[in-house]
Amino acid sequence: MDRRKFMKFIGCGACAAMSSHSGLLPEFLGGVQNACAFDYTRELSSVEARYYKKLPEGGIECEICPRRCRITDLERGYCGSRENRGDTYYTLVYGLPCAVNIDPIEKKPFHHFYPGTSAFSLATAGCNVNCKCCQNWDISQSRPEQTENFSLPPKDIIDLCQQRKVPTIAYTYSEPVIFYEYMYDTAELGHKHGIKSVMISGGYINPEPLGELLKHLNAVKIDLKAIRETYYKDYVDGELKPVLDGLIQIKKSDVWLEIVYLVIPTLNDSDDEFTELARWIKNYLGVDVPIHLSRFYPQYLLKNLPPTPQTTLDRALSICRAEGLEYVYLGNIPSHKAESTYCPKCGEMLIERRGYRTSVSGMSKNKCKSCGKIIPGRFF
Amino acid sequence: MYIVIMSRVAVVKYFGDFLGEKFSVSVYENMIKAGIGFVAGNLSLNEYFKQLFPGGAVGIKTNCLTPFNATPLNLTEAFVNILRENAGYDENDLIIWERTNHELKKAGYTLNAASTGVRCLGTDVATIGYDRTFLNSGKVNSMVSKILTRMIEHNVNIPILKDHSIAGMSAGLKNMYGAIHNPNKYHDNNCSPYAANINNLTPIRDKHRLTIIDAVKVQYDNGPGYAPHSIDSYNSLIISEDPVAADCVALEILNRIRARNGKKSLKELGREVKYLDEAEKLGLGQANIAKIEIGVLAIAEDGSISEGKLF
Repeated sequence: MDRRKFMKFIGCGACAAMSSHSGLLPEFLGGVQNACAFDYTRELSSVEARYYKKLPEGGIECEICPRRCRITDLERGYCGSRENRGDTYYTLVYGLPCAVNIDPIEKKPFHHFYPGTSAFSLATAGCNVNCKCCQNWDISQSRPEQTENFSLPPKDIIDLCQQRKVPTIAYTYSEPVIFYEYMYDTAELGHKHGIKSVMISGGYINPEPLGELLKHLNAVKIDLKAIRETYYKDYVDGELKPVLDGLIQIKKSDVWLEIVYLVIPTLNDSDDEFTELARWIKNYLGVDVPIHLSRFYPQYLLKNLPPTPQTTLDRALSICRAEGLEYVYLGNIPSHKAESTYCPKCGEMLIERRGYRTSVSGMSKNKCKSCGKIIPGRFF
Repeated sequence: MYIVIMSRVAVVKYFGDFLGEKFSVSVYENMIKAGIGFVAGNLSLNEYFKQLFPGGAVGIKTNCLTPFNATPLNLTEAFVNILRENAGYDENDLIIWERTNHELKKAGYTLNAASTGVRCLGTDVATIGYDRTFLNSGKVNSMVSKILTRMIEHNVNIPILKDHSIAGMSAGLKNMYGAIHNPNKYHDNNCSPYAANINNLTPIRDKHRLTIIDAVKVQYDNGPGYAPHSIDSYNSLIISEDPVAADCVALEILNRIRARNGKKSLKELGREVKYLDEAEKLGLGQANIAKIEIGVLAIAEDGSISEGKLF
C-alpha cells in the first residue's frame, strides 16, 4: 500500500469513526456507499473460527463467550459475525474491519499505557451483547454484510503501523471478542514486529480463549458496565459474573488493565453501587488499577435518559477515592482536572490531560519526580 | 393492532399427478384459488382481493435461506399471476423480496431492481437497506427493511414449512426474521417471545395481509439447513389471513409428519413452539387450534375440489 492510498484510507476511517461518534454516520446499513471508501469489499470472509465444538446431535456450540450459542446449519451466533456452514463454524469478518482510525491512546481510554502515543484502531461489525447505551451501535449491532468493510489482513495492518510509526494496535469500537481470530493473528504478528496490541472490550469471553489471547496482548481495557447482575440482564443482555472472572484473570496475567464504568442516570449511579464497585476492585484487583468513570450521553436505545450530571460523577469520584482507589479518572468531560494523573503519595500532577492533549511532566520513567513513588502502568 | 376477523385456515392438498419434485405454476394457481375461496367465505375471489389489496404495492416475502428448500419460484409466480388477473394489479406494483439478493439468486430467482416489471430484490440492495428507526416490541428492538416500511403497502408472507432446531418450526412468523437487521439477537428460548414480538413490530403487523405456507415437501427434521433425508411429501398449501392460525395449523401438520416418520415431538425434544401463544397474547391471531376453522380441500388435476382430510 503506497503512502497516497494509505492517507486516503486513513481519511476514510477517520470520517467513519468521527461521524459514528457524533451520530452523523451516513446510512451505511443496507449499503449506501461511502464516497471516500477505499479497498471496500462486499465479500465476507470464510476463515474457520476457533473455540467451537461439533455437537453429537448436529450443529455446533460456540465456545468463545459465555453465551455458548448453539447454532445449526446456515445460522449465526448472537454476534451475527460467525456462521455455521455444514457444521463448520466460520468467522465472516476476518480481515474486514468496518471502522479504522488512528486515535490517541487516551481515547480508548488508557491513562497508564504509554501516555501521549497513538493507536491504530479498528473494529468489525458485530457484538456478543446488546447494550442499550451503545455509542457505536451502528456497527456493533449490525451484521457484517450491513456495514462497509475494508479488506485489511493482519499483514497490512502491521505494514501501516510501521509506515506511520504507530506503536500500538487497538481492537476497539465494537467488541473484539467477536473478531477473535483476526485480533489474535494480528496481535501475534504485531509482536513479531515490535507492535503492541491492546483490546478494548466488554470482557464477555470465556477463560480459555482469553488466556490464549493474553499471551499476545499488552493491555486490556474492560467496560465494567455495572456491578449488579440485574443491570447486565436488563440493559446488556449478558451476565456480570463472567466479566468479573475475566477481570481477575487479566489482573493475574502480565497484561496491563484499566477499567471503564459508564455512569448512567438512575440505572447504575447510586452511592451503594459506587461503593460496591470500588470495594470489589480493591478486594479482587487492587487499588492501583485505574478506573475511568465516564459520562453517559443519550444513545441508541437509551435516548430517554439525560446525560450524566457532573455532580453524579463527582460523587462517584469521591466515593471511589474514599474507598482507597488510587487512580480514579473522569471521562467524557473534557478538561476536567480528574482527567489528569496525580501521585497518590504526594499529590503532584504527573500527567496533565486536556482533552486528548497529554503532557507527561511529573514523571521520570515510571516514577513520580517529586517523591519517587513507582506509578503502575507501562511508560517509556 | 392487527385485528383478526376470522381465524380461518385453508389446507389445500393436491392429488393430481405431477412430474418431478415441483408443482407447476398452474397447479399452484389452482391451489391458491381454492384456498382463497375458503378463506374468503361468501366473497368472490375478485371481491376478496379488492378488499384485501385496495391499491398500493404488494410485497411477497419468500424464505430463501436454503437454496434447495426455498419458496418455490412457481408458487410466487402463481400468486403474482393471480394478483394481476384477479386483483387487477400492475406488474410494477409487485415486489418479491428477501433479506439479500444473494439468497434470492441462489434459490433461482431472477433479480430485478429496475423501475419496471415485477421487482425481485433483497434488502441489501445499495439504495434500500433498513430504516434507521428502532422499532420496539417487548424485548425486540430492530430496524426494519425499507422494502417493508417504504416500498409496499401490503405484505404477503410465502414461506415454506420446515423444522427448525432452535425455533422448533419455521413457517410464517419465523420468516419475518428476514425483515429485521438483527435476527441473530433473537434466537434464545426457542425464539420465544421474539418471533411474536418481531411480528408485532408496527410495519410487519400492519402490512400483513396473507400467509401462504408451502407444505409440498416438508423438511420435518434437521432444519433449518437443507437435509434431503428428512423430507416428506405433504403436497399442500396452508393459507390464511391470520398469521398465527396459519402457523398453528402448520405446527399440527409438522408434528404429525414427524410422528409418521418416527420422530419425537418437538415438545419432547425441548423445542416446543412457544411463540404462538405469545403471538396470540399480542393480538396477532389465534393460537388455539380448537378455535380455528380449518378447511381441508382436496384438489384434483382438473381443478375440481372436494373435501379432504389433514392426514
